[in-house]
Amino acid sequence: MSALLGQSAKVPTPTGTAPRTPDGKPDLSGLWQRPYVPDMTKSGRGQQGTPELPFTDAGMQAWKSYDAAQGDYTGACLPFGLLRSMNSPDPIQIMQSPKYVALLYEQNTWFHVIPIDKPHREGEPTWFGDSVGHWDGDTLVVDTVNFNGRTRLDTIGHPHSDALHVIERFTRTDAGHSAYEVTIDDPKYFTKPWKNTRTFTIRPDWEIMEYSCEENNKDLYEGRVKVPQH
Amino acid sequence: MKHTLGCLVAALGLVLSALPALAHHSFAAEFDIKKPVTLQGVVTKIDWMNPHIWIYLDSKDESGAVAHWQCEGAPPNTLTRQGWTKSSLKAGDQVTIEGVRAKDGTNTCNSRSVKLPDGRSVFAGSPDDGGPKAGPSSQQ
Repeated sequence: MSALLGQSAKVPTPTGTAPRTPDGKPDLSGLWQRPYVPDMTKSGRGQQGTPELPFTDAGMQAWKSYDAAQGDYTGACLPFGLLRSMNSPDPIQIMQSPKYVALLYEQNTWFHVIPIDKPHREGEPTWFGDSVGHWDGDTLVVDTVNFNGRTRLDTIGHPHSDALHVIERFTRTDAGHSAYEVTIDDPKYFTKPWKNTRTFTIRPDWEIMEYSCEENNKDLYEGRVKVPQH
Repeated sequence: MKHTLGCLVAALGLVLSALPALAHHSFAAEFDIKKPVTLQGVVTKIDWMNPHIWIYLDSKDESGAVAHWQCEGAPPNTLTRQGWTKSSLKAGDQVTIEGVRAKDGTNTCNSRSVKLPDGRSVFAGSPDDGGPKAGPSSQQ
C-alpha cells in the first residue's frame, strides 16, 4: 500500500534506553507525534483524561455559557495558547540546550521558549503564558503562569481563568517515547488541581511542515466563524 | 481515474486510523449536526491549502438543477502524512459526499464520508471533532 500511495514505509519506532545530551540530561529533542485531545475529560489511546472536572461555581458558569458560534478564537486564527497547542493533533519539535528548551508547534507554525532555571518574568499576560523549566531528576518540569485568559483548554471549550497555572512534566521514558503530564491549577474555576497524562512517540521519519492558518481560512473569510469579543 | 480513486480509498482509510482533525476550530461553531446532507456530483476543484482542504463539486438536485457546493476536509499536512497528494482527488472525479451543512444555510458542508462510484464509503472527518462519527445515513 505504501508504494501505491507513493509514501515511504514508516520507520520502526526506536527501541532502547532514553538518549542523553552531552551534559547528562535526558534528551527530549526530536519530532513527536502526540494524541489529539479535543476534550481533556476523555481518555483514549495514549491519553488519560479527568472524567469529572472539579468546577467552582464560576467555572461551571463559564463552561455552561460557552457557545463557540458566538466567537471562536481558534477559527479566527488567533493564538491557540499553551493548552490548545499542546492538545492539537499536529506534531511538535522539541529543541533542547542546557539553558533553553523550545517547543516548535506545527499547529499554525508557533513556538514557545522555556528558559531553564530562571525565575518567572514580569510582564503583560500572554496567550501562551510565561514558562520556566527545571530538571527534577530525569524529568523536565515546566511551570507556566501569566496567561491572558482569552484561550480555552481544549477544542470543545473547557474554560480557564486568568489565574491559570500549568505544570507540565516531560520524561523521556525510552528511545521511542516520552511521558507527558499536564496539571491544571486554576483556583478561580476549579476547586482542586487536575491532570491529563499522555504518551508521545518520536517520529524520525517525519519532518515538521509549514502550517498557515490564514492561508485559506474560508470559515472566517466567508463569515461562518466569528471573531470573539473581548 | 481508477488508480486515483484507489489511492483515495487507501489514503482515507489510513486517515481514519490516524485521527485527522478539525482542531483548527470548533465544529459546533460553524456546522449544524442536525442538518445532514448527501451530495452526489462531480468534483470541480480542490483547494489543497491550510488550514483545511476544500472540495468543490457540482451536484444535481431532485429537479435536475445543478448546485455548486463546497465541503471542508482534513488539513493538508495530515493528509500528506497519510499518502495523499494534491492530485489524489481531482476535478472530474465522481463522488458522493455525506456531510453536515453549515449553519449559515449556504451550500457549504463539512465532509464526513466520501462514497466512491464502486460503492465503497470512506470516512473523511475527524472522529473527535464534535461532528458525527460517519455519514448521516449511518447514524442511528
